Amino acid sequence: MTSLVVGVGQVDRGDDAVGPLVVARLSGAPPEGVDVALVPTPVRLADAWEGYDHVVVVDALRSGRPPGEVTVWVLTDAPLPARPGAGGTHGFGVAEAVELARAMHRLPRRLVLVGIEAAGFAHGVPLSPEVVAALPAAERAVRDAAS
Amino acid sequence: MTHRLDGDELLRVDALARVEGEGAMRVRVRGGRVTEVALDIYEPPRFFEALLRGRAFAEAPDITARICGICPVAYQMSACQAIEAAFGVDVPENVRLLRRLLYCGEWIESHALHIFLLHAPDYLGYSGVIDMVRDHHDLVEVGLRLKKTGNELMTVIGGRSVHPVNVRVGGFYRLPTAVETAPLRPLLEAARDDALVTVAAVSAFDFPDLEQPHEYLALRAPGDDYPLERGTIVSSGGLGFDARAFEEHVVEEHVQRSTALHATLAGVGRYVVGPLPRYSLNYDRLSPLAQQAARDAGLAQTCRNPFRSIVVRAVELLYACDEALRLLELYDPSGVPAAEIVPSAGIGHGVTEAPRGILYHRYELAADGTILSARIVPPTSQNQAAIEADLTGFVQDHLDLPTDELTRRCEQAIRSYDPCISCATHFLDLTVDRR
Repeated sequence: MTSLVVGVGQVDRGDDAVGPLVVARLSGAPPEGVDVALVPTPVRLADAWEGYDHVVVVDALRSGRPPGEVTVWVLTDAPLPARPGAGGTHGFGVAEAVELARAMHRLPRRLVLVGIEAAGFAHGVPLSPEVVAALPAAERAVRDAAS
Repeated sequence: MTHRLDGDELLRVDALARVEGEGAMRVRVRGGRVTEVALDIYEPPRFFEALLRGRAFAEAPDITARICGICPVAYQMSACQAIEAAFGVDVPENVRLLRRLLYCGEWIESHALHIFLLHAPDYLGYSGVIDMVRDHHDLVEVGLRLKKTGNELMTVIGGRSVHPVNVRVGGFYRLPTAVETAPLRPLLEAARDDALVTVAAVSAFDFPDLEQPHEYLALRAPGDDYPLERGTIVSSGGLGFDARAFEEHVVEEHVQRSTALHATLAGVGRYVVGPLPRYSLNYDRLSPLAQQAARDAGLAQTCRNPFRSIVVRAVELLYACDEALRLLELYDPSGVPAAEIVPSAGIGHGVTEAPRGILYHRYELAADGTILSARIVPPTSQNQAAIEADLTGFVQDHLDLPTDELTRRCEQAIRSYDPCISCATHFLDLTVDRR
């Protein structure tokens, strides 16, 4: 089975950088047989995961939870509960990308979203302390989901 | 909801979805007259201008590529052109052609994304592309195939599809081999067929009447080219100037209610950049196939209805596929990948045609190539005044529409500009306030 971890987000936009940063932490010693990739916007997710059976998407979320909270959804089982603002700086968010792929029968066999609740997406602002503190937990969640 | 808002009521739409990024728009109606239309825009380019100061010139293509997830190539191309102009460097012809080929990939992906995923649902009466799939699965499939081909072209030339890492000041780090470019031909031939299907499909949509009176601004390229990676700036009113004179002609003013700068043309006023001006000022430069498709789609040689921009975008999508095939034929993988760069103190200007319109960069550089200052003017902020003016006229003419329908039409009108709000704004809410 081929597996992919794909980070969504842009590094200059506050907590939007968390997806790329978790992927960077993972890249040092990725789980056996797992590829890693980055996309700056969810519109490229479906192209990125084409050909993979098992995909873990890691992205910043704005869903009203406390900043730094890590949530794991198995999206092949059910859609995201009402649009939780995945990839909050993108008009076409992770929820739309996933549901379009579902409608077009382009979902991988198993698709997991590891979402890290963001405090903000302002340009040029560093990660919030809450999200910095959540990086190890987010990495663990991604490793668990990818294995 | 079918009631009309002619009393003291406030209409609020939570999000103008399906634009790249987010922003805010307010429409104010008082006593049956539209008194204000305001598009609030934050300006990430201002942040990036600050970020660029003190950095080495060689970092500019990579840093500016991060401004937009959809059009990184445009930012790279304008940055390279400006810095090369400052250093007095001319790039080899094979580099220019390869840049043009890379740019075609970005146009294909960006136009396909906008046409199918963001804009077509407006015309077909769906809340978004996911609902549209139910009844138009094959059409969405065409769109996704086109988007993927554009992405693939960017990957082969640019090194990877996101923030292409193969681009550098002077050219490319390495030229793709003939083995790498060979698979692109059948992909692009299929994409050209898909683009023809696209033009025919979108030309059958219903288009509300709206005629833009604004000045049109676009590049005009040397030779027979439709403008992408180079050209002088021309306007429908007869202006003609090169990138060096951009800041003499384009005046940016702070708007009190917004963090944005409003761009206007000195002595002219508001103006429009993007597919409509590009097409209307360069129809003669389209390939015969694209011209024929435009005629078959019922387009005149000038198009001033923003709602028809989806058809013009489809014609440009077809052109980009056609042009990419021509450029592949010319491509020589044995050439030099880049011009030699020797930094020198100076100021350089660059302007190229991003999918959404003219993108201007200026850099002031120290003798060692350190960036002393940078200025970036993206397409969306240039269109802002025209979007507001169009919305004012459109809402005034359609005040009798039910509120939800009027809001939907306003959103559709805004999307006609394909506002790359991630280049120009942070949050887009639409509020119509009628009293």
